[in-house]
Amino acid sequence: MRLRLPSRRARLGIGLGLLAVAAGVMLAYLLRAPERPMLPYGALRVGIDPSYPPFGLDFDGELSGLDIDLATALAGRLDVPLRLVPLGYDGLYDALKADQVDVLLSALRVDPGRMGDVHYTTGYFDAGQVLVRPPESGLDEMSAMDGRVIGVEFGSEGDQTARAWQRRLRVLDIRPFETASAALEAVHSGQADAALVDAIAARLWLRDHPGLAIAPEYVTHDPYAAAVRPDNPRLWEAIDAAIQAMHADGTLETILSRWL
Amino acid sequence: MIFSPRTWRDTRIAGRPWQCWRDWLLRVAILIVVISPLRAAPPRPVATPPQTVQTTQPLLCMHTRLIDEVDEWKIQRSLQLVRELGAATIVEFFPWAYLEPEEGHFDWRQADRIVAHAEAQGIRVIARLGLVPAWARPSPQDTLFGPAGEEGRGTTLNYLQTERFPDFARFVAAFVSRYAGRIDQVIIWNEPNLTFEWGYRMVSPADYVELLRQSYLAAKAASPDVRVLAAPLAPTLEVEGSPWGLDDLVFLEQMYAAGAAPYFDALAVHTYGFTEPPEAEPGEDRLNFRRVELIRAIMVAHGDADKPIAITETGWNDHPRWTKAVSPAERIDYTLAGYEYAENQWPYVDVLCQWVLRYPAPTLSYPDNFTFLTSDFRPRPIYTYLQAYARRGELTRP
Repeated sequence: MRLRLPSRRARLGIGLGLLAVAAGVMLAYLLRAPERPMLPYGALRVGIDPSYPPFGLDFDGELSGLDIDLATALAGRLDVPLRLVPLGYDGLYDALKADQVDVLLSALRVDPGRMGDVHYTTGYFDAGQVLVRPPESGLDEMSAMDGRVIGVEFGSEGDQTARAWQRRLRVLDIRPFETASAALEAVHSGQADAALVDAIAARLWLRDHPGLAIAPEYVTHDPYAAAVRPDNPRLWEAIDAAIQAMHADGTLETILSRWL
Repeated sequence: MIFSPRTWRDTRIAGRPWQCWRDWLLRVAILIVVISPLRAAPPRPVATPPQTVQTTQPLLCMHTRLIDEVDEWKIQRSLQLVRELGAATIVEFFPWAYLEPEEGHFDWRQADRIVAHAEAQGIRVIARLGLVPAWARPSPQDTLFGPAGEEGRGTTLNYLQTERFPDFARFVAAFVSRYAGRIDQVIIWNEPNLTFEWGYRMVSPADYVELLRQSYLAAKAASPDVRVLAAPLAPTLEVEGSPWGLDDLVFLEQMYAAGAAPYFDALAVHTYGFTEPPEAEPGEDRLNFRRVELIRAIMVAHGDADKPIAITETGWNDHPRWTKAVSPAERIDYTLAGYEYAENQWPYVDVLCQWVLRYPAPTLSYPDNFTFLTSDFRPRPIYTYLQAYARRGELTRP
């Protein structure tokens, strides 16, 4: 089979067609609806559920927490006033949809099912399951746990994940404990080689218990991100860029370390 | 000979390699177009010999969410896992709006699938009936809210006018008649003490009793052996006149006052533990697992001591952010202890159904932490421990 280039007439037709499409696009751009301001209320209205420490806390009406610090830093980067709007956990997405807030910043898990209704930014914290073990142990990932003892919180996501790994490894001795802290304590005291807990529990416990460390490879991922309405792409871009910049210059880790 | 190597060699020799690349790119593109529709066939349900449920805990029951499953193999897999758990009964929702999408025209296909797969696993089905089709709801012009001009948009799927009660009763009769001998228990409506479940109108025990009466008579006429369950009431402390609903104990009293007693064979009950263990004392001003005892006391006071109770929703939640949740360990302990408590203390209860086996898709919020399986069928630890309990018949903790 030998292919031939289209005839001169056909090429001319294609060219004219492309020109017409370009003209249509340009016309649509010129006639588009006036763009909504990035912050129509003159401040960055941040929706927060202040019932989930250490991300959001409410002490007698005074909000504090990791998400509040992050919101403050974001508003500073955008050079706009900040207005924190406390909301119930159940009402977060409705408040965003109803334009009561510009952005949600409340330890939100990225929900693929909502991506038609909201735009998530780059994640600012990964709350996935992590291995906590003595740093020199070499237990840097779950595959290294073959023949070892792992501590988990009874009935938790870590328990479930460890059971899945139990089927992949030759031997994995799972020791359930009443709480994540007890599972971590078991590693500290030598009852277990490592603990599989979520990154929040791990970081909180390690603040007061040096000597163990989080393995660099997360076992599961559970990113927390900010959420913006899809009709405000400029705000999404601005917040996303600010989070990335804070990640790059260490501001984000400073905020995380203050609370976790 | 699209893929003949000669073409490549010939064109290369002819000194026009660009033409060769162009030809090959075109061929790859054609190949992609041809093979792209060829995808792996989706899993199909596999015929298996009839099964029976092996369990030491006959109260064990699961509320499933199968009616919205598009893939039949997921219905089968869900019910296999119910059987393997050791649950001999499920509660499943059979929406009127799905089964009679046009007046007088029934579409039983999905319901038939669910019933057939449940039978194959040896599982008994309790059917919850409700959800009003658009044709049975008033037009938007006749309602106070909703955009005009769209059929049925002015009301919610739980909005049923009194004059349409006979239509619902006819549906109940059709359902009972179709599944006579296969489904022997039907629940009439769900949580009518919540305004949400009553079409966002103020709740009305008397109106619900009228719906129950008509449904009961129609069901019995269609199949005298069917057991008709009065709707489970939502555990709530809402006071009279609240825009959200009405206290379940008050609502039940008013149902009896409206003459409900002759029109149900058993009462469906929803009772959740929230943050308290199963043995926590009940009280009229608190919501916990043993609230069913207060409901039972009302039944006894009205001469219904002989009627059984089916707890069609119960459970604890272990979401880290929900204020009514417990820890994962407590969820397991309380759930297992709940069965022990019910077996020893509640002889009038014949099933204790956990909300909920799994959701077709994760909610990524606290409702996920009521489930026993993830949406991709991975058992949560509570499934494993409940299964071990149902097999051994004793409480054990690692």
